[in-house]
Amino acid sequence: MKKLILIALLAFFAVSSYSFDANLAKKEGKVNLYANITAIEPLVEKFSSDTGVKATYTRISTSKYLATVLTEFSAGKLQADVVQGPLPILNTLKDKGVLKKYDKSFLDGYPDWAKADDYIAAFGIEYVAVIYNKELVKGDDIPKNYMDLINPKWKNKIVMPDPASHATTISWLVGLKENKIFGNDEEWMKFVKGLAANRPMFVKSFSPTPAPVESGEKLLAISMPKYIVTKAPAPLDWVKTDTLLGSPRGIALVEKSTNPNAAEMFLKYWLSENNMRELANKVGEYVLAKNVFPPINEIEKAKVIPIRELTDEETKKWGEEFKTIFYGK
Amino acid sequence: MLLLGSFLNNLGNFSGFTFEKYIAAYTDPEFLKIIYNTVVFVVGSAIFAAVLAIFLSYMNTRTDIPFKFLFKIISIIPMMIPHILFSISWVLLLNPSNGILNTALMNILGLSDSPFNIYSISGMIFVEGLLDLPIAYLIIAPAMSSFDISLEESSKVSGASNTKTFFKITLPVLRPAIMASFILVIVRSLASFAVPSVIGMPGRIYVLSTHIYRVVSSGFSADYGMAAAIGMSALAASIVLIYIYRYLVSETSKFVTISSRGFKPVLISLKNYKYPLFFLVGFISFILIVVPVVVLCYTSLTPYVMVPTKRAFSMMSLKNWYEVMKDPISMLSLKNSLFLGITGATLGVLLSVFVSYVIVKVKTKAAGFLESLSFLSFSFPGIVIGVGFMWFFVKTPLYGTIWALLIGYIATYLPYGIRPISSAFIQIHDSLEESSRVCGASYLTTLRKIIIPLLIPGIVSSWILMSTMFFRELTLSVVLSRPGSEVLAVQILRFSEDGLWGKLSALGIIMILFSTIIVVCASLLGKKFSKMHI
Repeated sequence: MKKLILIALLAFFAVSSYSFDANLAKKEGKVNLYANITAIEPLVEKFSSDTGVKATYTRISTSKYLATVLTEFSAGKLQADVVQGPLPILNTLKDKGVLKKYDKSFLDGYPDWAKADDYIAAFGIEYVAVIYNKELVKGDDIPKNYMDLINPKWKNKIVMPDPASHATTISWLVGLKENKIFGNDEEWMKFVKGLAANRPMFVKSFSPTPAPVESGEKLLAISMPKYIVTKAPAPLDWVKTDTLLGSPRGIALVEKSTNPNAAEMFLKYWLSENNMRELANKVGEYVLAKNVFPPINEIEKAKVIPIRELTDEETKKWGEEFKTIFYGK
Repeated sequence: MLLLGSFLNNLGNFSGFTFEKYIAAYTDPEFLKIIYNTVVFVVGSAIFAAVLAIFLSYMNTRTDIPFKFLFKIISIIPMMIPHILFSISWVLLLNPSNGILNTALMNILGLSDSPFNIYSISGMIFVEGLLDLPIAYLIIAPAMSSFDISLEESSKVSGASNTKTFFKITLPVLRPAIMASFILVIVRSLASFAVPSVIGMPGRIYVLSTHIYRVVSSGFSADYGMAAAIGMSALAASIVLIYIYRYLVSETSKFVTISSRGFKPVLISLKNYKYPLFFLVGFISFILIVVPVVVLCYTSLTPYVMVPTKRAFSMMSLKNWYEVMKDPISMLSLKNSLFLGITGATLGVLLSVFVSYVIVKVKTKAAGFLESLSFLSFSFPGIVIGVGFMWFFVKTPLYGTIWALLIGYIATYLPYGIRPISSAFIQIHDSLEESSRVCGASYLTTLRKIIIPLLIPGIVSSWILMSTMFFRELTLSVVLSRPGSEVLAVQILRFSEDGLWGKLSALGIIMILFSTIIVVCASLLGKKFSKMHI
């Protein structure tokens, strides 16, 4: 099996058009990835074992991302060869001259919007859904759509990231409005206020949302379906809505990288269909490679839409708005 | 740098001086409520930690209560537990929906509602107080230990009871240590983020640290200048506290208890109260410290976060332990943290002895400034301090290495080294040093032969405080750590961000085990070199 995978991998590399030199990449011997995506250690290790080029992964949280990369860059000590993060962060890095163009000729099967930028390749969507404890919420009790969350029976039974400060949640709530998930703005506001009236428990980000649902402390979470995969065998399932929204995840090469060939090798490996399948299967990510889905029941039936990037000013403005609604007595 | 940053439009851009950040930060209508919550939280935590520490220190150092060595270790266990894990354990025990202790009490007492709600200001005080208990304990215990019995004997000869002697003699003389622990806990809880985020945020109770987190995390370009501007109120509070402390202990001669050959620590016999008090201390230790650790052990064996049921027990395995032990990054983190804990604490204590000497014995205004300066790093939000260190180190060849972490740790946590040692210094009369100097001994000989042996309990406390702090340090590590210089707390954070609570607990327990070994070794060494005990 391993041999087959290796042959497939070599075949993939053979038909791709390369701008990097594989021998030079091996000579460089290493590549450093800065990323905010979690649980990707197995994929980074797999790259090392498949290519012989040692990949190291430094996790940088969103709140420290720009400060870290820009400080290192301005001091001429940027240790990353490849950077992965939310599009607004990568766009800022592009504006500051940190990124370099990549060869996107091989990105067949990716949607046009994902490869529209010359510097940043979008490879996935940080999709958000309602997840629930399937041992405690059963049958007709399972919500069928977003509006079901405002039913008073869920009062004090929902957990979600703080909508006043968590940027992705703010973008998601605004995305529900802008993508007309509720038909019109009044219905959307009814949803937001109804959700607030159910007094959800706030946590700082998505990562602490599944635990209270696993343990039964809360029954529903506004969270990410990827946890159904990464937290198996926890009794988690998702509310099967037609449309899911999420922030695009991007990846890019670094200008003046110390390992440029290894970096390009990594980027192309990362964006390959094989790797995307691994990312979906092992990390539960929603990826943009054609017909690749995470192993989550019926997820392929959902339409997953990338939401508009809010500017920092918009994020702060909406954060204040949601603070008034959710924190009001 | 950070102070400057709070007056700039953009941090790092030195054009455009402005008060905008201060105006925005301090005219926020929510700010008053946040300050109120913060004051209640930090003062409450400090009182709870100090009272508990005084009681446990007295029992463990001054009385003949059985199993003292065990209780001494238990008292400092919270220091070895990553704060996020300790907070989560208490959430599992006392959340109002299905907290294990709440559910048990409801079943036993036939209650319809949960008796406790951890998501409250009292819940926050309770958990933060427990986490800060070791800090208070490690400052008060050496001072209790070095207390000259003759003062208490005089009180008893005059007809006072044990209790009256404790309140009229023991406590007043211990004022520097109690004040030092109280202030350090206040400053520590001002900087605390785990408890306010894990317990406060779900309860919608915001304090300075979570407010700053909201400021930094709203949007992708974090406004560190604004965070620094808010941090200035914590800095101001810390400076005021230090000056109050210095004023209260300015007449150091009042607190001298080691002044002549007559010094000899003696244990007080509890007589008939011996076993009732033993059970009380045992009960407190069990409920407050052992139970959360047991919860961690349980969580490390389950595949996901589960309340204890028959099914949960049937699903238990050592899988999480196996995976952590074979994970190269976890093992490298353990090695790095051990190095930082042992080397860093040793260097930090050496530096602390000299700084404490200057603060206590060289009575100049500069000493007060030096003492205030040593608290500077505590007064800013952790995330801001971390970024500040990054700006500094990125200009040096040390950036990205374990040495940057070592220097950053010592610089940041120096107050933990200074406080126990300076409290111990205050109790040593100048005449001892003067006699040595009169007999022709040099300053270093006097320090080595007279002062340091008397300081051993303080030094041991300070070493334990620093090494356990360094062993589980996160604030700086999360910014400065790079591949090759990973440390335990960063690895624990990774597991936490992946929601891998089982692995998180397993690594947490490994951390506690190693910390315990370090603490036991340090305590035994201290015991060997000194008659006094902590």
